[in-house]
This record gives sequence, structure tokens and C-alpha cells, in this order.
Amino acid sequence: MTLDAETAEDLLYQGFQARFLEGGVRELVSSGDLSSEYADFQIDSRSIAIAQAMRSRTDGRGDACAPGPSAPGPALAFGATPLEFLRCAAQKGTTPAAARVGGRSWTDLRRALFGWGGPRGIMTQVMAGAALAFQQRREDRAALVFEDSRAVETGAWHEGMSLAGAASVPLIAVLVSGPTVADDGRGVAGVTEVAANYGASVERIGADPLDRVLQTVRDARRQVVAGAGPLLIELAPPADDRWAGQEELTSWAAAGGLSSSRLEAVRNAAKAGVDHAVARLRKEPEPRGRDALSPVTADAAPTPPWTRRDPPRPGDLPSAGAGADAGPMPWDAAPTP
Amino acid sequence: MSTRSPSTPSGPPARSHATARSAALPAQVARTRAGEPATFLEAVAEALWEEMERDERVFLIGEDIGAYGGAFKVTRGFLDRFGPSRVVDTPISEGGFTGAAAGAAHMGLRPVVEMQFMDFVSPAYDVLTNYVATSRYRGAGPLPIVVRGPVGGGNRGGPFHSQNVEMAFFHTPGLKIVYPSNPRDAKGLLKSAIRDDDPVIFEEHKGLYRAPHCRETLPREDYAIPLGKARTALEGHDLTIVTYGLMVHHCLAAAQELAKEGVRAEVVDLRTLLPLDEEAIAESVKKTGKLLIVHEDTRTGGIAGEIAMRINERSFEWLDGPILRVTAIDSPVPYSGRLEDYFLPSPDDVVAASRYLVEY
Repeated sequence: MTLDAETAEDLLYQGFQARFLEGGVRELVSSGDLSSEYADFQIDSRSIAIAQAMRSRTDGRGDACAPGPSAPGPALAFGATPLEFLRCAAQKGTTPAAARVGGRSWTDLRRALFGWGGPRGIMTQVMAGAALAFQQRREDRAALVFEDSRAVETGAWHEGMSLAGAASVPLIAVLVSGPTVADDGRGVAGVTEVAANYGASVERIGADPLDRVLQTVRDARRQVVAGAGPLLIELAPPADDRWAGQEELTSWAAAGGLSSSRLEAVRNAAKAGVDHAVARLRKEPEPRGRDALSPVTADAAPTPPWTRRDPPRPGDLPSAGAGADAGPMPWDAAPTP
Repeated sequence: MSTRSPSTPSGPPARSHATARSAALPAQVARTRAGEPATFLEAVAEALWEEMERDERVFLIGEDIGAYGGAFKVTRGFLDRFGPSRVVDTPISEGGFTGAAAGAAHMGLRPVVEMQFMDFVSPAYDVLTNYVATSRYRGAGPLPIVVRGPVGGGNRGGPFHSQNVEMAFFHTPGLKIVYPSNPRDAKGLLKSAIRDDDPVIFEEHKGLYRAPHCRETLPREDYAIPLGKARTALEGHDLTIVTYGLMVHHCLAAAQELAKEGVRAEVVDLRTLLPLDEEAIAESVKKTGKLLIVHEDTRTGGIAGEIAMRINERSFEWLDGPILRVTAIDSPVPYSGRLEDYFLPSPDDVVAASRYLVEY
């Protein structure tokens, strides 16, 4: 196994981040700062390696990634921070959309991160389109999308893959394995058979070492950008230990030429970052009610319904678009005893 | 780990089809340049062509729009001029290519999605309402997409090729809806829609596409008509008729009949349904005191209800009678011509409702 030092350090850092973030989330769930829906929160380290193999940038010119159900692992690889993830999960007012959306993913187009935006399959359609744009402009860019394996039961996913295959766009679509109707014999064929219908290549990633995952996806990325058509990756169910143990990490560090003291420094840096994020999260403000008035089109923020204001005189209603600048709302004031 | 990959060429690819090449101007985009009057369909085609020439980020995506030239031939000849990377033929997958348009728009392009018939936009309802319309709200920024296509009845297309879809989307914050009534507006509004940073549903009534009476000479210079601004199609003072699309022509015909009786109807053409030019409607109602709303869409949940409520909220004191509406009946669009004629609102219906309102 060989890794260049920078890659090894990046992977190690993100891996440690993921491990410590899992712990931080458990702590926040216990303290009531996060919903219990995160009680079983885990990050599949292979999703980080897959995303790490892409060409991420922070200037809006890199590969695009929709982390989907694997968030925040791939998001970390695309430059997101644990605090950003925790803000979204905890619905804080400091999220990019002021908690109007949140959950596990969010959109940051500078990093080409695409947040969840609808039922299963939608993001495969959207990322096929991002890939289409790269192809049209002949850019050295590719799109990466994670969906859970039940996406193959939706028409949306198949339409996205159909278009991606027909246009041979540079798309890497990852299906994170879980139960599907195929498992009890009710429905669809396996992923490999599905992919063949769309002219897509297939990779199956199981318990492979992460450096192997990294290299495989790097090779695949080159192929899809070169016009070989989309690639479908089946991310098989992970082993119990989703992140490498100390022994393997040590071997990684060695493969990358990192000393044990450097390994420890990377570990400590990742831990400090997550600890800071967890502590900081508790001080972050909640969204204000009027944050719901964000513009929904270029022209206007929505106007609060007049029935929630003081009854207006005829002809005295604010025109559409005045909502965001209409001054204090009734619900901003202290409640009447 | 298993791999079954095609062999790898080097370097980013061009699309595997022929590249764009210059070609003679297709007839449907040459009318204005030749100084000839254009049909509604030709006006739409001219807008697309000129915007694609003006801005290389603009591209078309849809079913059979390339070699076939589109179901109504709006894009005939576009493939030769702009090439397959900007005239993208897709599988029959309205959801898929609308979603793809969203991704391309995020990455800086300005897609124009064609629905062969707007009836088929329903498979894309998911991505349009869940993903596209929420883009700004989710913090994902502007999403400049136009989804355009033919709507409307009267062509004996039956329930699956005759629908008006505006109200399926009217209730979705984040979308804009445009429904022009004449070639000049169609061209100017489509240009504005393409240049707009928000998603726009653009409805084109089939009954107007090649209607001879709609031909008009369009300005030679580049022009755009702002979204959200209605126009007064006919000035009057006895009642206000608010309408859009093909119904503008029915209402103007009705107004001619009413004029014979000394009734001067004011006809307001909405042009854009979202955002709705509430101000223009209210101003006209203040002048006439009577409001009739006419739409080809079915009655229940039609835009007439929303307009009536807004006027009730802000201009009730100006009303001298009930707000009335003339619409299609609440049923799917029938296939038989005899049934469809009964189903659709007619100029006679508008005249009858206007008389009632004027005499109220």
C-alpha cells in the first residue's frame, strides 16, 4: 500500500474527524442538544474515501458532490467542517439557510456541495445535469451523488441514470447498500444488471482498504471525465467497524511516510476541531421567526398574511415583497399575558 | 472490488455527435428578420434562437427537439445551428431531464426545458416543486430554468393533450408562471423568462401557435417584456374583464359584441400569473366597479378564486357588484369535439356574464 503524504494526512484527518464527530453527536443527543434521530449516527469512512478521490475545490470550480444519506462524510472531504454539519443537524439560525432546511446536508455551491432536495432519486437527476454542464463546457469536472439503495425503486433515479447514460455524462452514482425489494424477491434486479441498462460501468466496494477505494475512484473519475459514461458504485454494507482501527491507521501513516508523532498530531487536531464544534454549537443562536421570510424568488420575500397583522385598513396592505423589510412583526413582540 | 469499464480515451470529451455548424436560417425564426409578420409559434422560436445566439449559456433540453425539431417544430433547424450540446435530445423522462436542467442551472447554464405537451409536466412536478422551487429558500441560490410547452384545448386533443397546468404550480412559492396571449408578448416575455434568475413555467396555447389572426410584425430590435406586469388589452369603463392566454381573444371578441350595446368593457391581459399584477387589476376595478375573470382552466381552484380574494381584501369598497368568473367546467378535457365545445368557455359565455354584471 502506498499513499502520498498529503493524501494520507487528509484521509487520516477526515477519518479522525468522522470518528470524533460520531462521539460528539452521541454526546449532544444525550444532552438534548440534538434530536434522538441522531442516536445511531455513524459515518461510513469509505464514503469519505470516495469523495476524497474527487477533485474538490472551494472556488465553485471543482467536482460536484451530493452527499445524500452518507453526509457528512463526503461533505468533510469537500471541505465542510464538523460545526457546519452540527449547525444543520441542530437547526441553528447560523446555518446557510437559517434552518429553513437542514438535517444532514446543506447546499454550498462554492464547494459544489448539493444538499438534499426531495425524495430519493431527485439528486441523481440533478447531479446528472451538473455533469451535463461540465461535459458541455468540456471541463475537467465530474459529479458525485450518494443515494441509498432504495433509490433504485424510484422512477426518479432511473430517469436520472437513463439521461446520464444516454448523454455519457461524467457522473459517479453511489448506491449505499441497504435492504431493497430485491432482497425478498419482490422486485428489481441487482445493481449490476440495472447499470448495464444504462451503459454504466460498475464498481462494488465492500471491505476494501481505503487506499484501494481511493485509487479505484480516482481511476473511475478519469474515465467518466474522459467520456466513458457514468459509473455506478455499489457501496456494500460496511463491516461493524466503519473506520480503520489503530493498527491500520498506523500502517496508513507509514504508507504515507508519516511518523507516529505526526499521526498523533493529526489525531489531536481532528479531536480539537470536533470538541470545539460541539462546545460552540451550544452557544449558537436559534433561528428567529422572521427568518422564514427569506426570499423565495428574486423579486420578493413572502408577505405575512394580513390576518396575522393588525387588521389593515382597505388599500393599506403591503405590496408583495415588502415582507422582509416590513419592520417588526407582531410575533417579535413579547406575548401578551 | 470488480470493474467492468469501457476503455479510457484521454481528455475531456465533446459530445459524441456532430458539432454545431452554420446553416440557413430556419423559416420559423426568419420572419422578423425578413420584415414579415410572425405567428405565435414563430415568435417563440425567434425568442429561443436569439437568446441562444446572445448567450452561450442558454441551451434547450427535451424530447425530440433536435433532429425532429420538436412536436410542434418550434426548434426545427436549431440542432444544425447550435449542435447537440445545446439542443439536447433526451429519453422520455420529463422528471429526469427537468432535474438535470436544475443541476445544469446550478453549474451556471440557463436551460430551457421543452415539454412536448404541458400535460406531461406532471412527472416533473416532483422535482419542480420539491427541488427547483425551493432553491433560494434552501440557500441554494437562484435557479434559472424555463419550462415551456403547449397547453390548452380546442384542438380535439382530449384529456391528455389539452390541459392548462398553471394552477398546479400557482400554489408553489418560488416559481413564476407566464402565459402570453400574442406573438409580441410571447417573444418578449420568453426572453425575460430566459434572462430571469428564477424558475419560470411558460405556457403557450396551441390555439394561438399558428392562428392567422394572431400574426403580427414584431420589432426588429431586441426587446424584452418584464415579468409580473399586466397590460390593458382594451380600455373601457363599464366592467373589468381579467384574463390571459387564448381567452384574451375570446374576451376581446365579447367586448366587440358588448360595444354594440353601448357597454365598454376593459380587458386586462395578465401576461404573468406569478407574480400576479394585483395593482393593475385593482386600478381597473377602481375605474369600473365590476370584475369578471375569465380563464380556460377549470373552475374549482382556478386563478379566478385567488384574484377575487385579493380584490376582496384590498378593493372591496370599490366593487358595485359580485365578482364573477367564466371558466371551463370541472371535468377532464373531453375528446369529442361536441363535448369539448361545451366544456370550454366561449365568447358568448363572456358576453352573457358581462351583461349580468353590468346590469347588476
